[in-house]
Amino acid sequence: MASLTLDRLTKRYGDTTVVRDVSLDVRDGEFLVLLGPSGCGKTTTLRMIAGFVPPSEGSIRIGERPVTDLPPWKRNAGLVFQSYALFPHMTVAENVAFGLEMRKAEKAEIEPRVREALRLVRLDGYGDRYPRQLSGGQQQRVALARALAIRPDVLLLDEPLSNLDAKLRLEVRLEIRALQQQLGLTTVMVTHDQEEALTMADRLVVMSDGEVRQIGSQADLYETPTDLFVANFVGRSTMIAGTIYAPGAFRSEGGLELTCPPGPVTGLATMSLRPERLTIGPDAARLDNHMRGSVAFVSYLGGLLDVHVRLNDRDQVVVQIPNRGDVFVPAIGDQVEVGWPAAACLVFPRETN
Amino acid sequence: MAIARDRPAGEQGSFTAAGLLVPATLFVAIGLLVPIAILLRYSLNAFEPGKLMVDAFTIANYVKFFTDPFYLQVLWRTIRVSVACTAACLIFGFPLAYVLARTRSPYKNLLVMLVVLPLFVGNAVRAAGWMVAFGSKGFVNSTLMGMGMISTPLEIMYTETAVVIGIIAVNLPFMVLTLQSVIEGIDRNVEEAAFSLGAPPMAMARRVLFPLALPGILAGVILTFILAMNAYATPVLLGGPKFQTMGPLVFSTFAQQNNWPFGAAVSFVLMTATLVLTLLSSLLIRRSAR
Repeated sequence: MASLTLDRLTKRYGDTTVVRDVSLDVRDGEFLVLLGPSGCGKTTTLRMIAGFVPPSEGSIRIGERPVTDLPPWKRNAGLVFQSYALFPHMTVAENVAFGLEMRKAEKAEIEPRVREALRLVRLDGYGDRYPRQLSGGQQQRVALARALAIRPDVLLLDEPLSNLDAKLRLEVRLEIRALQQQLGLTTVMVTHDQEEALTMADRLVVMSDGEVRQIGSQADLYETPTDLFVANFVGRSTMIAGTIYAPGAFRSEGGLELTCPPGPVTGLATMSLRPERLTIGPDAARLDNHMRGSVAFVSYLGGLLDVHVRLNDRDQVVVQIPNRGDVFVPAIGDQVEVGWPAAACLVFPRETN
Repeated sequence: MAIARDRPAGEQGSFTAAGLLVPATLFVAIGLLVPIAILLRYSLNAFEPGKLMVDAFTIANYVKFFTDPFYLQVLWRTIRVSVACTAACLIFGFPLAYVLARTRSPYKNLLVMLVVLPLFVGNAVRAAGWMVAFGSKGFVNSTLMGMGMISTPLEIMYTETAVVIGIIAVNLPFMVLTLQSVIEGIDRNVEEAAFSLGAPPMAMARRVLFPLALPGILAGVILTFILAMNAYATPVLLGGPKFQTMGPLVFSTFAQQNNWPFGAAVSFVLMTATLVLTLLSSLLIRRSAR
């Protein structure tokens, strides 16, 4: 295993820039997730690392080895595709052995390494089957075993779980994560599923429009998002549009006077609130910001309740309350007290679009 | 299980399907099997110059074919030309089909049309064009001589080379289209997976692309081989009277010598040879892919 360095990586197709100035350092043994909506450039970035897309500018190093100009077959990067891309005409064992054969490994060496790779993904004894005889989850694990058998310097996962059904996805992501930690694999995964990203990653990279918006841990992205896009994309937020007219003083478009932590933002601004940081009921009166509103909508999500509270003609917030069984469940039209501390407010300059 | 549940609907469906199959089946039976049966019967009749076909039950026509070096020569030449053309079509056609299948160019349809375009021109017309090009004062020779690369005209017309080139030109589109449709069905990611596992392009092609394209290779080879074995216009026009192959031989035996029994026997030899060699080649291709 080795570290991976991307330096100002850029990809242009004609006049369109799909990846702009992406610089990343993936530490040896680190699990890095590229997260973003479709079309944000995350897959192109991964394909540049794998060697299928030549970058327009910038460079890629695996460990100390510059690989920018190397073809894919000389990069020693294990790649797992969304579609698994198993060789349908080969058995499971032949699939896993393929990379080793390409490396001209001795027959006596190949067999134990194939067995070892299949054991890692808990598919011992499946070597003689063909991919079509396996379930989706099993095919996925064969793809992983095949990528691991070559002992890659970096492991690249391209939306590896999105073809699995929801329940299996939860299992496999824990499995991949455990394997990655056990083997100390330097891993880059691409996904649009934030829950998947949050579960598996050591660090996350949020991308949009071909650019890196923020790099950080789960807590970094959730607690201190650098911009409105990240605040919106990671976790849930409700937005209140307004103006910062003095340090720590926010006036919403609907006329609410709110207190927030003093920051660099002035003028037109958007306040972002995490639904679970809001309080509903009598306790709300103790908080920095509190007001009355009427319940507009309640969604019952099982373990959680989302209460949408209309504060005035223009402003509305979502309050998330845990469904402990003894809580007061408001009904639509109820007048309630809502509040939140100043510290719960994230304020960003208004994006002009 | 799904099949069992769908049984009633399936039965009804297959009843309709059977109904739809009737016209095609009748057409094949009347248009193909009956003439073949008649031809088989004719091939066992005798031929007397004054009386033409005489009812008999003899294998004399087949004995005549397989004991006369001239006819064996014609058969062997036909097979040789067909094998050469088929091999060339596969070698030239595969890269072309691959590019057509994988290109993301907006002009893809135009490229496919360019491949198909030659099929719009009849074989005979095209062969006539080749005659102009290949003649001793034709385009090829006058160009080469004009450039000073040769001093005497190349003998291309009425040679095996001319016939092979002509048949390749006719058959290549069939090979390309067959291969293209199969290659398009191969997941691009499978190729990329092979690359990322350390396979250079040739190794990828040998271990992944060719085996997966095998159904297309088989279909293309069978199609072009059958077309080459039975070619008529191209060998007649580009090969000339001395360059006999099986297709023209069948025609001249029937139409010029009026020897229907022997013509029928020649037809049957051609049909059997084509069938046997086609089966043989598909076995060979299947085995080599393992």
